[in-house]
Amino acid sequence: MSSDDDAAISRPAASSKPTGMSRFLKGQSDSSSDSDSSDDDESDDSDQDRSGDEESGDEVKFIKSAKDKRVDAMEATMKAMENAQKINDWVAISNEFDKLTRLVQRQANVAERVPSFFIRNLSSLETSLSAALAKEKDAKKKMNASNAKALNAMKQKVKKTVKEHERDIVQYQKDPEAFEREYAASVSIETPAPRTRVSGISEGGDDETPEPEDFTTVGRGGRVAQYTSDGIFKNLQLVQEARGKKNTDKAEQINILERLLEVAVTAYQRIRVLLALISSRFDYNSSISSHMPIELWLSAQREVDQLIAIVASDPQYSVEEVTQDYDELLERTPEQEADGVVRIRGSIISFVDRLDDEFTKSLQNIDPHGTEYVERLRDEKGLYQTICRSQGFYEKTEQTEPLSRVILRRLEHIYSKPDAVVQALESSAALSPSVLSVSLANKGTTTALIHSLCVHLYKSGNPVLRTRAMLCHIYHHAFHNDFYTARDMFLMSHLQESIHAADVATQILYNRTVVQIGLCAFRVGLIREAQATLQDIFTTQRVKELLAQGVHQQRYQTMTAEQEKAERQRQLPFHMHINTELLEAAFLVSSMLVEIPLLASIESEELKRKAVSKPFRRLLDFADRQVFTGPPESTRDHIMQASKALQDGDWEKCRDLIQSIKIWMLMPEAGSVKEMLSKRIQEEGLRTYLFTYAPHYSTVSLSLLSRTFSLSPRATTSIVSKMIWNEELSASLDQSSGVVVFHRIELNRAQQLAQTLADRVNAMVEQNEKSLDLKMGGTSSWNERGDGAKGEKRGEQTQERKGRTERSRGGGGGATRGKGGRFAQGLGTVATRVR
Amino acid sequence: MAEYDLTKTIIPFLDRHLAFPLLAHLAETGLFPVDHVRAAQYELAKPTNMVDYSVSLFTQLHPEDEVPEEFASKRENTLTTNERLQNEAQSVLDVIENPEVAQALRQDKMQNLQYLKDHYNLTLGQITALYHFGQFQYSYGNYRGAADYLYHFRVLSTDNELNLSAHWGKLASNILDGDWDVALEELNTLREVIDSRALPTGLTASGELAAVAQLQSRTWILHWSLFVYFNHPQGRTMLLETFLVPTYLNTVQTAAPWILRYLATAAILSRKQSSGGASTTGATSARVRHALKEIVKVVQTEGYQYHDPITDFLKELYVEFDFEAAQRELTAAERVVENDFFLGEFREDFLDNARYLISEAYCRIHHRIDIADLSDRLNLSRDEGEKWIVNLIRETRMGADAKIDLEKNVIEINRPPLPMYQTVIEKTRGLAFRTQALGAAIEKTQMQGQVPEVQPAAAEAR
Repeated sequence: MSSDDDAAISRPAASSKPTGMSRFLKGQSDSSSDSDSSDDDESDDSDQDRSGDEESGDEVKFIKSAKDKRVDAMEATMKAMENAQKINDWVAISNEFDKLTRLVQRQANVAERVPSFFIRNLSSLETSLSAALAKEKDAKKKMNASNAKALNAMKQKVKKTVKEHERDIVQYQKDPEAFEREYAASVSIETPAPRTRVSGISEGGDDETPEPEDFTTVGRGGRVAQYTSDGIFKNLQLVQEARGKKNTDKAEQINILERLLEVAVTAYQRIRVLLALISSRFDYNSSISSHMPIELWLSAQREVDQLIAIVASDPQYSVEEVTQDYDELLERTPEQEADGVVRIRGSIISFVDRLDDEFTKSLQNIDPHGTEYVERLRDEKGLYQTICRSQGFYEKTEQTEPLSRVILRRLEHIYSKPDAVVQALESSAALSPSVLSVSLANKGTTTALIHSLCVHLYKSGNPVLRTRAMLCHIYHHAFHNDFYTARDMFLMSHLQESIHAADVATQILYNRTVVQIGLCAFRVGLIREAQATLQDIFTTQRVKELLAQGVHQQRYQTMTAEQEKAERQRQLPFHMHINTELLEAAFLVSSMLVEIPLLASIESEELKRKAVSKPFRRLLDFADRQVFTGPPESTRDHIMQASKALQDGDWEKCRDLIQSIKIWMLMPEAGSVKEMLSKRIQEEGLRTYLFTYAPHYSTVSLSLLSRTFSLSPRATTSIVSKMIWNEELSASLDQSSGVVVFHRIELNRAQQLAQTLADRVNAMVEQNEKSLDLKMGGTSSWNERGDGAKGEKRGEQTQERKGRTERSRGGGGGATRGKGGRFAQGLGTVATRVR
Repeated sequence: MAEYDLTKTIIPFLDRHLAFPLLAHLAETGLFPVDHVRAAQYELAKPTNMVDYSVSLFTQLHPEDEVPEEFASKRENTLTTNERLQNEAQSVLDVIENPEVAQALRQDKMQNLQYLKDHYNLTLGQITALYHFGQFQYSYGNYRGAADYLYHFRVLSTDNELNLSAHWGKLASNILDGDWDVALEELNTLREVIDSRALPTGLTASGELAAVAQLQSRTWILHWSLFVYFNHPQGRTMLLETFLVPTYLNTVQTAAPWILRYLATAAILSRKQSSGGASTTGATSARVRHALKEIVKVVQTEGYQYHDPITDFLKELYVEFDFEAAQRELTAAERVVENDFFLGEFREDFLDNARYLISEAYCRIHHRIDIADLSDRLNLSRDEGEKWIVNLIRETRMGADAKIDLEKNVIEINRPPLPMYQTVIEKTRGLAFRTQALGAAIEKTQMQGQVPEVQPAAAEAR
């Protein structure tokens, strides 16, 4: 009779089997106890586990250990119960019984036999319980309420427990003595091996003392002999059953599987072992916050490669997520299968996904300024290779759904990278054996590569993948300074309307894309567009958070630990960050160029408050209040002082200040950007000058203007003409003498008020129309007037584009509001989710 | 000039037959070698049933070669098919042309079909013969006949797909026939049909397909309508009306930015109506009046996609205010217009109007203008320029403000600033009416009893 048979009642018996067996065998093959103690050491046991191991020690009464204590405790409890039974105190019995079941449960957990006295007690309890119930029924005088309640509860509990131990009880009732004997025997069978060990312990003095050299040589040797290709499935099953259990030793499991992989012979065996091995590697780290050890990740990556290679090279084997049931313990070959293909349950795509996720997670956790981060980043090459390899595999086997997923993974690795990096990644991917339909080599440029990847994803049915692909594509265009394409794609995608419904990761990608478009506009010199695009995100004042590049510090409320954890998980790895300082510089400079002339053009104080760019205005006001301004240090200082200079018409100083900002270094083609900026500064300087000083002149010579601002006479004339035409400047040109003639009308107070009143009334009517529109549900039927300038825009599916064009020209605050609101809303959802 | 020729860009969006006039025009302008154009014409004609035409083109192209055999057999084929189809169609036509039947036919197509079936044993299949015959006639160039048959078919048929196809066919036939009034009518109905197709919303694959199909038909409409709009007397105004509808403007921007040339030209051409103010042509809508402004905006945003001398002219004039550059572009634009198939006839008008635009802008910005300089800007000689300017001053409302000082050879423009009260009046002009409309709308909803909670808004409005 082996211990295994009887241990059937204790649930995790199976898991304990291998260890038990190995221990047993070890004991035989080598009587040195070191192997066992080292076993303990290596497998970094939990406390409970160790107490389980020590069980044997208790049996032979060498040491009074936890196990021993437990048995004692059980006996004590039972005594108390017996006493309570005698006085019919069911409350006490119930309490004691609970305690007892807990103890027994623990016993079962460590895979030990339930002591026979427990069974004995249980059956006696059952009888006394039924007797008590019968008596209660007949009795004239009822028990007190609590007692009765406890009695009933006991009835339920006992029933339940009896069911759990049904078999033992039956055996016990049949022949109590035999049962006792058997128990004693089973315990003693288990003892021999531990006994030798225990003696070892007593020699070594301490359980914990490891002797590593011995452990490696002997321990391994003893074990390898045990794993053969014949027993592979059985071992595999044992490992799989133990998976996810509380006291399973993960490192041990991985070890076993690695060994199994060494002995695996057939492709089927190798696939099976690899599947199990990779998942157990991923299991190794159960915590969400910390990342997987890098060595483990690397070997997992290798094994995924291996797995793909096996499956790709042999089309007779296929790994599928849904398969028919098959016997896990049998070897299967293609010949046996109906269609000649062995289908194995598993999912390669989920491994690839997980690999990628773990990579990101490790980058999140490594300090980005250390060398470790760079080291880690090198692994991306391998990962990219794996992804490409799996893409090749899926292309070959024509599995569309995982193919799209894998392509998206690939896309996300390259979309935000400069060409050189993509080239490096691609060249590594080209080394892989599988042939890719799409690669840099056959596409020529990165843009073409990304385009073809995206097109593939657009064709796939999955809207999430498509959205992400679209955003990546737009981002890529923006990154490569292709502003118009990026903008058109962005507007035509209509993502602005649906982005709040997307998941947080996609929203972050959306924000990144928007910001990149803004930067792109800045780089190519479209200042207004840049300002309008970036403004949305800067008015929220949570740039870092929205780009997932840092956790936002909330002033009035603190986040719970969980929220913070969730937030941290969302963070992008450092190398993907968009430099926020550069972003801010771009935004503030473009705000300056838009805002300063505007400020100068507005006369009344009241209107001045209506700022186009609030964040910029706030900074400017702050700078205004400063009593003393020292030399500029930060980027903001530079820009603020430059704004002041621009306001005074001192464009050269403004230019120098802006160009001395160090952060431009980070911008690609910084030189041309600076040049562009200085040109803009000249133009805007001229405009500001004209706005500011027009009231003080009756004529200004054009040549003077062009000299002062170093602009060509033609450009000067063009700018002045534009201002006159747009009625920003009440003036006209005198061609013969080459001067600007100002016509200034001084409004008196009453006239001014009348004008304001008219504006207000106008605004009110518009407001009313808008609110009526809302109530009528957007059907614009009621105000189909001749000048349908407003009506016609509504309900048009592509009005976005129009709105955009208006905005890019108008520059006024009005047009921006709608979009800004929408954007902020989108961010709002992120915020609420974040919270 | 060849680089500004749009024939190649436009042809993919036209029917084979519609491309013939374009190519014929190209042959005339001589922008391309005649042989090349002929070869293109021949290739174009070969698959059609216009055998004789193809043969003549072939002989022109290869005078020394024999005419290939295939044409003879094709000719035979065509004739027999024609006869067969005609027979089929004739039976239907006989029935329909019967006055008795014409009287009995009603609006309801289903009922008509039933009626025809009951009384004359006409089935849908036979009616479709009309369509086939019409199509066949079109293919050998009998456009008038094709238009007739297709019209009859459309009246009777209930098949939506074929009906749409018949619509296109009839439009093409009318265009090629030069029947502009009918073509215009046809164009408008076709546009309605296309626009009324509801699109499934959402990012579904089918919805996307439908959207793409709609975009495509709109692009076609844009191109086909050029024939109509640049030939119909009222065409330019209507072109502006149609193309500036947001949906079509978007189509232009996304799918066919070169249409901007025609849009810009139409806007320049219709300046007279617009500057004449609402008093002369009351019918011109606000859209046409503001067309130029809007088009300049579009031209500016689409500049990266498409530009030619005409759009550049507008850009230089209204965005950069660089009159020298505008003048340069105008010279180039003149030649482009001259060589363009659609615009060729309007060269004079175009030039005239463009000059007006330049001088108008010039006068608005300047206070004192040297006549010589202005004439220069307008590509006119001194004397011509003076005459022109006098006319300009007389025609436009600047009369009171502008004076010519011949001694100094300058124009003095004195534009007194708008009085304050005028500004306020301008600003508050439409308000009463708008509020009234608001009130009416609210009352309407109240009467329907649908949205009783509008009341607070009503109180606010007053």
